Amino acid sequence: MREFEFLEPQTLTEALAMMSEYEDDACVYAGGTALLLAMRQRMLSPGFVVSLGKLDELREITFNPAEGLRIGALARHSDVARAPDVQAHYPMLAGMAGGLANPQVRNQGTIGGNLCYADPATDPPSCLIAMDAEVTIAGPGGERRLPMREFVVDFFTTALEPGEILTHITLPPPRPDRTGLYRRHLRTPAEHRPVANVALTFRDVNGVPEDVRLVIGAAVPVAQSMTRAEDFLTARAITLDVAAEAAAMVAEDIDPISDGRGEEAFRRQVVRAITRRILAEAAGLNWKDAAA
Amino acid sequence: MSGKRISLIVNGESVKAEVLVNRLLSDFLRDDLALTGTKRGCETGVCGACSVLVDGDVVKSCLSLAAQVDGKTLTTVEGLGRIGDLHPLQESFMAHGGLQCGYCTPGFLLAAADLLSRNPDPQDAEIREALSGNLCRCTGYQGIVDAVRNVAESTHGN
Ligand SMILES: Cc1cc2nc3c(=O)[nH]c(=O)nc-3n(C[C@H](O)[C@H](O)[C@H](O)COP(=O)(O)OP(=O)(O)OC[C@H]3O[C@@H](n4cnc5c(N)ncnc54)[C@H](O)[C@@H]3O)c2cc1C
Ligand code: FES
Ligand code: FES
Repeated sequence: MREFEFLEPQTLTEALAMMSEYEDDACVYAGGTALLLAMRQRMLSPGFVVSLGKLDELREITFNPAEGLRIGALARHSDVARAPDVQAHYPMLAGMAGGLANPQVRNQGTIGGNLCYADPATDPPSCLIAMDAEVTIAGPGGERRLPMREFVVDFFTTALEPGEILTHITLPPPRPDRTGLYRRHLRTPAEHRPVANVALTFRDVNGVPEDVRLVIGAAVPVAQSMTRAEDFLTARAITLDVAAEAAAMVAEDIDPISDGRGEEAFRRQVVRAITRRILAEAAGLNWKDAAA
Repeated sequence: MSGKRISLIVNGESVKAEVLVNRLLSDFLRDDLALTGTKRGCETGVCGACSVLVDGDVVKSCLSLAAQVDGKTLTTVEGLGRIGDLHPLQESFMAHGGLQCGYCTPGFLLAAADLLSRNPDPQDAEIREALSGNLCRCTGYQGIVDAVRNVAESTHGN
């Protein structure tokens, strides 16, 4: 690993000032689980590493019924998974955060670092998009807020401008009539990262879905809302046939990643299978009952 | 490159050291503190051989800088038990074939210790999930799961 200066600002203002001062030569450091690997492989060689470790206010997870959930960017995956408010009001998020990677990575990697690195082979983006999350970004010119769906823009690329820091993620208040599921697929249990994942939320109106969000992640460069399938599923009771038809639509509409962990055709099939299964599961059906 | 003075507690003892800021925690533990029970395997966060507890949470020390653990409390395998006074997990790994070559064992012990501290009576599926960040090339894992379950059962009497 190349040499660098390790800076430990005490406040967000100080951190932003350092980022402006050292510009391209500076890099934010949260848990380090992604950055250290990139630095050791010399894909990144920042001269100044700005650690957020002392910014305790960015670690907090707070909830109130009127405003919803606010997760500091420095909250670790295990903090999100274990927070009583997340477990009580956002079980889909708690399950996702508690099931990604492995215990060691969950105890060190932060949700902010995960989103800012924008590695496609991750879990939070699709789940957060389906839950209508927004992100708050602090920069030299003040604060701005973006829907999560606009935050990741390409492979390893986000909407962050130079010098900006992600401060927190917010979720709208939970609605009693809105339900959601998140499922991921690994090629083998020993592989930590998903080859594909799917997040589904909808408003349940007497067993019929409304306001459907169906988002595919990991199999595609950027987590993607499947709008054609969302429209198809709206106001239509889910049967095994409907699930199969929507899943086929999703498989057709994605442009999958093709790499050593899974070729395009394989990922398309996995996406079709997990989409069919999550829809069946959401409707209380057993997908094994249909050999689609 | 500047150094950083860090002070931390390792296996119950207070440690003060000056480290280069690009020093990995795994290298600091092994090469500076001579705690060679912590292993280096893949050094890319995959195998778990370098696992240690930081403030009670299991992490991979190859994915952390020594500078990050300033002020923290660490446990390495040397702090889990000592010869003549082994931790119940260590006894159980021996009794149930939880190791062969032993290279992965320190990491598995610490991951298992973290699990049992939060969930004293885990199901097999929970044991396997808790150990999913650790690789073993020898045992086939069943002996390890048996060893962990046995400690849980003997402390819970079921
Ligand atoms: C073995 C292994 C398995 C994994 N498996 C999975 C998996 O199954 N699913 C999954 O989702 N993820 C997985 N991950 C990825 C893991 O979740 C991320 O590495 C972790 O969340 C990154 O967070 P960090 O705090 O360590 O980030 P860092 O490494 O500190 O930072 C990552 C990047 O984000 C930038 N950054 C960090 N915080 C901010 C901020 N607040 N504002 C602006 N920029 C910031 C940094 O500059 C850097 O570019 C895995 C990682 C490993 C090593
Ligand atoms: S050496 Fe750290 S995970 Fe393999
Ligand atoms: S005992 Fe040899 S690698 Fe696990």
